[in-house]
Parts: sequence; structure tokens; C-alpha cells
Amino acid sequence: MPPKHQYPPLYEKLVPVILGILAITLAVLLIGIVVVVLFSGAR
Amino acid sequence: MNAILNFLPFISGTVSFALAAFIFKRYLERRGAHQLLWGIGAVCYGIGSFSEAYYTSFGWNPLAFRLWYLFGAILVAAWLGQGTVYLLAKQKWANVLLVILILGSLYGAFRIFTAELDPAQMLAHPGNTGELSGYAIVTPGVRTLTPFFNMYGTITLVGGAAYSAWLFWRKRVLLHRTIGNILIAVGAMLPAFGGTFSRMGMANLLYLGELIGIVLIFVGFLRATIPLKVAASAQEVAA
Repeated sequence: MPPKHQYPPLYEKLVPVILGILAITLAVLLIGIVVVVLFSGAR
Repeated sequence: MNAILNFLPFISGTVSFALAAFIFKRYLERRGAHQLLWGIGAVCYGIGSFSEAYYTSFGWNPLAFRLWYLFGAILVAAWLGQGTVYLLAKQKWANVLLVILILGSLYGAFRIFTAELDPAQMLAHPGNTGELSGYAIVTPGVRTLTPFFNMYGTITLVGGAAYSAWLFWRKRVLLHRTIGNILIAVGAMLPAFGGTFSRMGMANLLYLGELIGIVLIFVGFLRATIPLKVAASAQEVAA
């Protein structure tokens, strides 16, 4: 197990926000790909 | 301005092969299957980018198009993502998925290299701003393969990197890997969004998205492999 630290305050606040945005964006992207599959079939 | 933007795929290709060399060097030192697969993915990115660079410099060429479509549009995300699968999933499942990916890649290569092409279809398609697109493929069923590879690649590469970042953040360990994985996840998504904007008429954002994407992935890999000096203000606690 690597040594455990408290993250610097900036990262404590930023990381969950960025990960949340990433999760939403990933969901949008995947839905977009599904829509492409259903309606036009390709890139 | 267009001349500069058209040069971007050449830079993307160069960065991709530099990343591949960096990853293969680590693979030779550590022999991790994930490193080998990431290296192959980076080579796919490079071949796709240089095929685009050929098109922007010299115009249409069937071989360059087929290479671009196979490596740049179909395989790159899936092979990079397969590396992440080896890092996060059980070896048995990773092996099964790799076999499926290899068979799928061979089938995709066969379909693309035997497909009938018509570049006029690509240029005539509404929304095309002069970049390569799959509309040049006339044979039915070939382009249908692409979203399946990209779905798998997006879930495994972007999702895997974001999940890794979350794991490290939750345990408050290895800050450099949290940052590195976030950069990789963002970088992996950019080409997809660049392509979307490009299709909405914003010329060359595909190439810009691809360049910033591979640069972020490269920086992410570097960041994830080099430990960060934790700020003096951060209190160290027992693991």
C-alpha cells in the first residue's frame, strides 16, 4: 500500500468536480454513439 | 490558417509515435501486457494521423484512406482501452476480450481493404468540411462496425481512466496517478468531440481535437508514471 496523504486543498475540491463532469460527458458521448448506431449506422 | 490546421495531423502522428516509443520502452523494462497494448494503440493513433496528414498534403489516396479508417477510426480507442482492461479486469476476462478484439480487428481489416470506395460521396455529404470521413465507403455494412469498436474503446479507455482516478482520489493516494488518469480520460474524449464539431461545420476541429487529445494522453502517461512531490502543507497520515 503506498503512503497515504491528504491531497492539497485545491485537488480535494477540483478532482470530484472534474470526475463528475467527465462522467456526464462520457454518458453523453456513449448515448451519441448509440444514436449513431441506431439512426445512421456509422462514422 | 487552413495550411496550419492541415499540418496538425502530422504533429499528432509524430506525438503518437513518440508516445508509442515511450510506452514500448516501459514495456521492455516491466513486461506488462497493458503497456504492450497501449503501445499498439498509440501506433494505431500515429498511423491514423499520418494517413490524415497524407490526405491534407497530397489529396485522396485509397490506401491512405483505408489505413486511416482502419487504424484511426476503428482500432485506436479499442486497443488503447484494451490496455486499461488488462490493468483493471481479471486476467481471464481480459484475455477473452483480447481474443474478441483481435478477431474483430482482423474482420474489420478484411472488410475495409475489400470495400468499394468513392471519395465523391465523402465530399458531397452535407457537413463535410474537407476532412476524411467514412462516407467514402460505398460497400454496405462496413461503417456499421465502427461504433461498436468505439463504444468498447470509449468505455474501457475513458471510463477506465476516470474509474482509476476516482479510486486513487477516494483512497487519497498517488496524486500523480489521479491527475494522470484525468488527463488521459479528457484526452481520449477530445477526438470524438472534435469529430462532432467538425460535422457541425466547424472546419478542422477534428484535427485540433486529435492533436490536443494525444498531447493530453501523453502528458497523462508521463504524469501517471512520475510521482509527485506532495506539498509541504499536506499532512502525511499513516496508510
